[in-house]
Amino acid sequence: MTPGARESDLGRTGLIAVAGLLIVWEALGRLDVSMFVPPVTTVAAAWWQLVANGTLTRAAASSLVSLVKGFVPAAVLGVAVGLAMGRFATVRHLLDGWVNALMSAPLSALVPVLIALFGIRDTVVAATVFMFSFFVIVVNTLTGVRSTDPSLVEMARSFGAGELALFGRVYLPSALPAVMLGLRLGVVQAVKGMVVGEMLISLVGLGERLIYYGNTFLIAELYAVIASVLLIALATSQLAQALDRALIRWK
Amino acid sequence: MVVALRAASVIAFVLLWEWAARVPISFNFPSPWATLTALVALLRSGAILSATATSLQSLALGFGIAIAVGVPLGLVMGVVRPVGRVARVYLDLLIALPTAALIPLVILSFGINILSSAVIVFVFSVPFVTMNAYGGVRDVRPRLLEMAHAFDASRWQVFVRIVLPSALPMILAGIRYALSRAFVGLIVAELLLSPFGLGRLIMASRSMFEHDRMFATVLWTLLLAGVALAALARLEGRLLRWRT
Amino acid sequence: MAPRPVEIVVDGVSKAFGTVQALVDVHVRVRAGEFLSLIGPSGCGKTTLLKTIAGLVAPDSGRVVVGGRTVEGPGRECSVVFQDFALLPWATVQKNAEFGLLLRGVPAAARAERARGMIAKVGLAGFEHAYPAQLSGGMQQRVGLARALAVNPQVLLMDEPFASIDEQTRRVFQDDLLQLWSEERKTVVLVTHSMEEAIYLSDRVVVLSPRPGRVHQVLDVPLPRPREGAGVRATAEFARLVDDLWKVLRKLQ
Repeated sequence: MTPGARESDLGRTGLIAVAGLLIVWEALGRLDVSMFVPPVTTVAAAWWQLVANGTLTRAAASSLVSLVKGFVPAAVLGVAVGLAMGRFATVRHLLDGWVNALMSAPLSALVPVLIALFGIRDTVVAATVFMFSFFVIVVNTLTGVRSTDPSLVEMARSFGAGELALFGRVYLPSALPAVMLGLRLGVVQAVKGMVVGEMLISLVGLGERLIYYGNTFLIAELYAVIASVLLIALATSQLAQALDRALIRWK
Repeated sequence: MVVALRAASVIAFVLLWEWAARVPISFNFPSPWATLTALVALLRSGAILSATATSLQSLALGFGIAIAVGVPLGLVMGVVRPVGRVARVYLDLLIALPTAALIPLVILSFGINILSSAVIVFVFSVPFVTMNAYGGVRDVRPRLLEMAHAFDASRWQVFVRIVLPSALPMILAGIRYALSRAFVGLIVAELLLSPFGLGRLIMASRSMFEHDRMFATVLWTLLLAGVALAALARLEGRLLRWRT
Repeated sequence: MAPRPVEIVVDGVSKAFGTVQALVDVHVRVRAGEFLSLIGPSGCGKTTLLKTIAGLVAPDSGRVVVGGRTVEGPGRECSVVFQDFALLPWATVQKNAEFGLLLRGVPAAARAERARGMIAKVGLAGFEHAYPAQLSGGMQQRVGLARALAVNPQVLLMDEPFASIDEQTRRVFQDDLLQLWSEERKTVVLVTHSMEEAIYLSDRVVVLSPRPGRVHQVLDVPLPRPREGAGVRATAEFARLVDDLWKVLRKLQ
């Protein structure tokens, strides 16, 4: 779990801080402090241009498709594996070494391996997204199942609950908050994977645009794409948070 | 029993890999043995070691500065509340942003050199060091502060004797997590920057279709990261012996 | 229609956990419809004994017979009330009260009705849609009791049910429990730390000795019933019984 990072809650302080940053940025840009710091307004204009001529929308669409193609399987498989590991000690002992090792590993090192496997295609991006988010989801799901209150398990057994009922009516609901946390963290990782994957194959999507504008010194456009990536990251994160709040009303 | 299962899963993995190498999934998927021999060859020729040295230079530089800047910054954020509240917004945004997106910008600004790699490592790791230092200060148990005031401790004494030791576990955890992020940044930077370090070696091997060398370098990189993180975890454990 | 209460026979039960001998050769006979308390110093195995009756723990030797049938796992005759309430935090009061019925395959409509009735009986009418986190300890335990009673058990097993509840709430609850019990007689076995509680509620009190747990002594409580609201605690007879119990326990410390 990401230590120290709390959910970005854009309250009043947040808006003021961001506004302040934009103003300072605009000033520095106007003062021509560096060719690498264009004014906010220039960036905004470039952003608008890119949206208008479809470049940004196309790239974003490609990125989002890869994101979904990678994240959905990661979520489904991740939860399944996490549940299995949480419930069955044998499975846990078999897999936890790998899961723990790969969770903190620089998975980007494996992207060239994926390229070797799939070739330079957008499947690599989906695969990277999967890789980046899978392990976080597994670990959190596993923790959730393992931290089920044993007292509740005993209570359910006292009323005659069998293995299936125990799993469905005690372990699963009990693990739900942790599963949701895993999915939230997984989404954040997925977006990062999406960008890294796209940058490394440099073929499609927002990542490709980042490389392109970097190579062609189109700085305002580069900032525009960075801003778009940030927006997508924030939007997916907020979406995940909203889902979490909707499902977990009882806390 | 547990050991047996763990060993079994490693063996299963190697077998799976061996099988994958024989099945024609893609061209030149190297077998475990080929990877191992390539690794030995790379070690012998010194190629992988010099690449490692270059990579570690960037890492040490970027990560070191991240700690030197991040910890004090986080502490200040925690002690001076208004600063904390504002700076935290920027940090949250930085953490939310997929940091790799900033790499082209950094390369543009600093050029294709070790400085760029170091800056990228810095940007990847500093938010977590800072946020954790901040969190560590903020989460000091109020009861302990109350107790210190009851003994009429000065602000400095409270900071050094209560706040710092209390925040230490979280700071160290942040540093450890930041190291894993630093490695991520390093690798992505090098895969893109090309002329340097382990990343370069990986990309070069790939473009020359020397997949066994590529796999070997990837394996080496993962092991390196793993060892570094484990070492840091050990250190953390030593420093925090008072925690049961 | 409430089922008849049944007799419980604990026949030579022994249980060890690793090297720790929790119970040794325990013989207890609980008459049908009797209210029996188990008391003893920490580590005497009273909770373990309750769990063997509940079928949650299997004895190493000896057996437990409930209503003529040997216990081989959690059975339909018994219902348990837990010290820490053990309510599902993600479910409402209504759903929690229905839980036992749900596990026993009772269809939804019947479940809902029966649970609602029980919730009213324990005095929580109106709280059906609240979550446990919104309730006080006493109220949560009432839900636990409603859940236990909803499945119409012949035996009610209570593991220090009032330990986590403040004293004033506890007294009210104890009276309510006696009231409910008098309306629908069940065999009750209650584990407690409180001597006063044991005497106030029970027909007999079984004192267990500390590790390894054995039946040390059985005290009769000949106080007349009903005891709820009758000022029993103020009588000399009550004080004497509590004192007798204390004398027995003190020697075991």
